[in-house]
Amino acid sequence: MNIVEWIAAGVLTLGAVFYLAGTVGLLRFPDVYSRLHALTKADNLGLLLVCVGLGLLAADWQVGALLGTIWLLGLLAATVSAHLIARHARHGHGQATTNSEES
Amino acid sequence: MARNSDMNAASRHQRLGWALQIFSILLLIWVLLNGFYQLWAGLFAAAIGAGIGTWLVSGQPHPWKPHRLLAFAGFFLWESLKGGIDVAWRALHPSLPVEPFFARHRMSLPPGQPRTLMVSTVSLLPGTLSADLDDTGTILEVHGLMPEAMDSVTRLESWVTWLFSLDP
Repeated sequence: MNIVEWIAAGVLTLGAVFYLAGTVGLLRFPDVYSRLHALTKADNLGLLLVCVGLGLLAADWQVGALLGTIWLLGLLAATVSAHLIARHARHGHGQATTNSEES
Repeated sequence: MARNSDMNAASRHQRLGWALQIFSILLLIWVLLNGFYQLWAGLFAAAIGAGIGTWLVSGQPHPWKPHRLLAFAGFFLWESLKGGIDVAWRALHPSLPVEPFFARHRMSLPPGQPRTLMVSTVSLLPGTLSADLDDTGTILEVHGLMPEAMDSVTRLESWVTWLFSLDP
């Protein structure tokens, strides 16, 4: 393996670690909203790192640009679905255990 | 249409700017997906998309400044990196250091693109999640993971204000 492949392997592994952390958060966090934090933010970073790793391996501007587009679309899907799930839970569906507070 | 007749020059200018921005983004997506092969078809499709997008935009369009968008993208990338690392650390920490709470944030941004951008980016900043909007669309209900999370909401709002060149 050359140096770029080593770096790519490291970045891909780090991406997998963030996916794992997101899933651990999904299992450990106390309520539906906190779980959404873990899924959106950790998985978004995991996807970014996986895309960077694959882009390094491909070494092609068009593949890199495609991977960037995939990341942006994944980001959009994550943030929109997180908002919709949270709003659904907020309107009294599913379990919601965080206490409300005015500020 | 009545709305078109009393449209002043400034608003017409903003619509033109908005159309140009949709056009360049659509063309960029075309080039990313297809390369420069048969670019004329991409130019044609992007022009139609920009026309329809400008025609259908609700309320007043708010064009952004291209160099400010780059700076905003940098800010957003950095914050979402921090957000991912922060939440991964909390998830893996043995004592699970989270103190979830809800807070209401009154947005000073105008309706349309600025508010949409704010609501959709809040969820990727460290410790904040956009949970709900009230019926008027001004009060954003934020779910926070730790007490200091609300700082990033006010910071994000000032960035969005700057990006769209709005009066603070």
